[in-house]
Amino acid sequence: MDLRESLGVLMTWTPFLLQGFGWNILIALTAMTLGTVFGAMLAWLQLSSWLVAGRISKVVTELSRNIPTIVFQFYLAVMLPNQWILPGTTWAIDIPGWVKAALALSVAVVGFTSDNLQKALSDWRQGRHATALLFIPSWTSYLLIIVIASSTASIIGVSELVSRCNSVVNAMGDTRLLIPIYLYASLFFLFFCYPLTLVMSRIRVKMAARLVIV
Amino acid sequence: MRGIHQANGKQLIRNIKHILLGLSLLVGVVATAGATSIAAKPSATLDAARNRGFLIVGIKTDYPLFGQLTTKGTSEGLEHDLAEDLAQRLGVGLVKVSVTSANRMPKLEEGAIDVVLATMGDTADRRRIATLIEPNYYSSGVTLLLRPDQKAKEWQDIRGQKVCAIQGSYFNRPMSERYLLQLVIFNNARDAKLGLRDGQCMGYLFDNTAIQSDLLRAEWAGYTAPLPPAMVAPWAIAVARRDQGTELEQVLGDAVADWHRTGFLLAREKAWKLPQTKFLVDAQELWARTAGDTTTPSKFMCSRDAQGQWPAACRNPAFVTSADVGGLRSAGLWLREFSGLDLTFVYDSYDRFRFFKGLLQSLLLIVLCVAGSLVVGTFGALVAESRWRKLAIAARLLCTYGRMTPPLLQMYLLFFGLGAVAWSSFGISFSPLLVAIWCLSYYTGSSIMNALLDSAKHARESRPNFALTLSSLRGLIDISSGPVTAALVNVTKATMMASAIAVPELLSTATAIMTDSGNVGVMMNMLLLMFLLLVAVTYRLLGWVAKRLHQQMEH
Repeated sequence: MDLRESLGVLMTWTPFLLQGFGWNILIALTAMTLGTVFGAMLAWLQLSSWLVAGRISKVVTELSRNIPTIVFQFYLAVMLPNQWILPGTTWAIDIPGWVKAALALSVAVVGFTSDNLQKALSDWRQGRHATALLFIPSWTSYLLIIVIASSTASIIGVSELVSRCNSVVNAMGDTRLLIPIYLYASLFFLFFCYPLTLVMSRIRVKMAARLVIV
Repeated sequence: MRGIHQANGKQLIRNIKHILLGLSLLVGVVATAGATSIAAKPSATLDAARNRGFLIVGIKTDYPLFGQLTTKGTSEGLEHDLAEDLAQRLGVGLVKVSVTSANRMPKLEEGAIDVVLATMGDTADRRRIATLIEPNYYSSGVTLLLRPDQKAKEWQDIRGQKVCAIQGSYFNRPMSERYLLQLVIFNNARDAKLGLRDGQCMGYLFDNTAIQSDLLRAEWAGYTAPLPPAMVAPWAIAVARRDQGTELEQVLGDAVADWHRTGFLLAREKAWKLPQTKFLVDAQELWARTAGDTTTPSKFMCSRDAQGQWPAACRNPAFVTSADVGGLRSAGLWLREFSGLDLTFVYDSYDRFRFFKGLLQSLLLIVLCVAGSLVVGTFGALVAESRWRKLAIAARLLCTYGRMTPPLLQMYLLFFGLGAVAWSSFGISFSPLLVAIWCLSYYTGSSIMNALLDSAKHARESRPNFALTLSSLRGLIDISSGPVTAALVNVTKATMMASAIAVPELLSTATAIMTDSGNVGVMMNMLLLMFLLLVAVTYRLLGWVAKRLHQQMEH
């Protein structure tokens, strides 16, 4: 298989791979949403005057920081049922693989949000609004880390980009495709993350400049 | 056109089969008239399947001729024919879920699939964790696929050698115990075969039926499988433990018995161009034999009794052998019976050994990845800030690429992609451990490098002459100790990724133990606990180092 042939194959499969990358982003966004909501609750509790809540929140934050997401993903894949029937009803909620992956990743986000938002919240309350707003670019940078980490969902059988690369190699039955397709897939991540990183560092610089003026 | 003809042909066979089935049922009803009907408990699984209108069968798609993907993305194979027939007998539709040897049992247990029809050997261990349908529908043994440059005549010849295998195969453990094989365990057949091709091992330990069909393909020209099949075991369809003694078990058992009697299995075997197995020939003879007594001349010898059991002569001769029990093992077994906690990694010496080996491997990975990331990160930062413009730009580009692509993808690229080139061009095989360490260190090192460069930029704001050199490096690491520690803790957590390229670390060992022993819950909790501990310890240690560094800087 020469270069032109490989490129042809890659072109044909691009829509399929792009869909897979869509799953990566969906997983990452779900994880960020869940993690941010819970992490924000923890951050708020830590700043509350109720001491017990603060202590519990600290322990939970510490725990969520220490849980390795890959193991936890495996854990949820094996231990959570695929369907959960709401007690007392006949409502069945499906828990597909990608949701389990997102749940596992959200644990890391909880730790991140709890730590960083707590700092931002206390800055805000003390009137340092511009410093507090630095949370936004950090949050976005973390989103990118989670997008990259979502590739491990392939290990538990979610049909995202990396596992779709393997499917394509299997379907074509030609292992010489391995190098071009993995390189191609890595570009998806690069072209998604790089522009966002640039934009975020611009925003950060601008915010910092405003900080100096204030 | 061919497809349509085939479909018509299949339909015809089906119609004929239905007529035959109807006739045999009629005969059966006449023959067993007067006998009590066999009552079976209703099955919740079967009821659910009927309600939703389809049966969910866990089936293979990576086992050529038995279950394979077509170029159109659909799946087919001998077992796919069987699954279709089962659904038809139950009067429901069929949904096929692709499973692997490692996940078919967990999926069955959690209810994601109703039935496992996935080239699964019938073993005593498996009977403990699922309900295996009797009679068996096929049989196979284990053999070794050898690369063209390897020779072996007897199993003894490969004693102590490195052999590629797939997670979750029942013969992994006994074969490695018997011949002291060093197993290099992969997650699926494709990866294991790529491992063999790229020199990770001398042979690929797998089922003889699968290997025979591999040998027919051009890809494996020159490869051989000279060893006689060992550990020949029959294959069984499985349903969950909770379906034991239910209608589902009975209907499936009756279906398999019928397959033997009508020669359906032999016909499908021939249709898929598989070599004829003695097992099927014998089974057909046995199951089609009539009882031959005078009152009911056409009753099959192998018919269920009033309790729904097959006669002993028609059952698989018991493979359940009582294990030698004593010492730690008996204590463990006692705990299992008493509390349901199955701590095989405590009482079973083989499991204990591999669990500790996995733990050591994980520790080694963590230490080397942390060290590797630091080296890559600081070296990269030094080069990026050096006088050599071109090198500096290259370092920055590599850093961006490394930071923004998943390490798992890098591992696949290096191990399977470049590994193949290295083997075919230079005869070098990459060590999975080194590949994992390199990829994780590159990813994490890039983050560390980025953090150091950021700090350097900050330092320049107050001191325009600041230059990153070996002497100013320590101060810079101290300033950026927050993000650096975070990155190193992350790499500790990420080491489990190495299991994807057959590094026998903790995640991989725990999965192996759990698929062999069925103690899923215990192993999963244990694994999570071990890693929580490992990460917590790493976190503390790094914190301590950062603090020491800071104190030194202040002096």
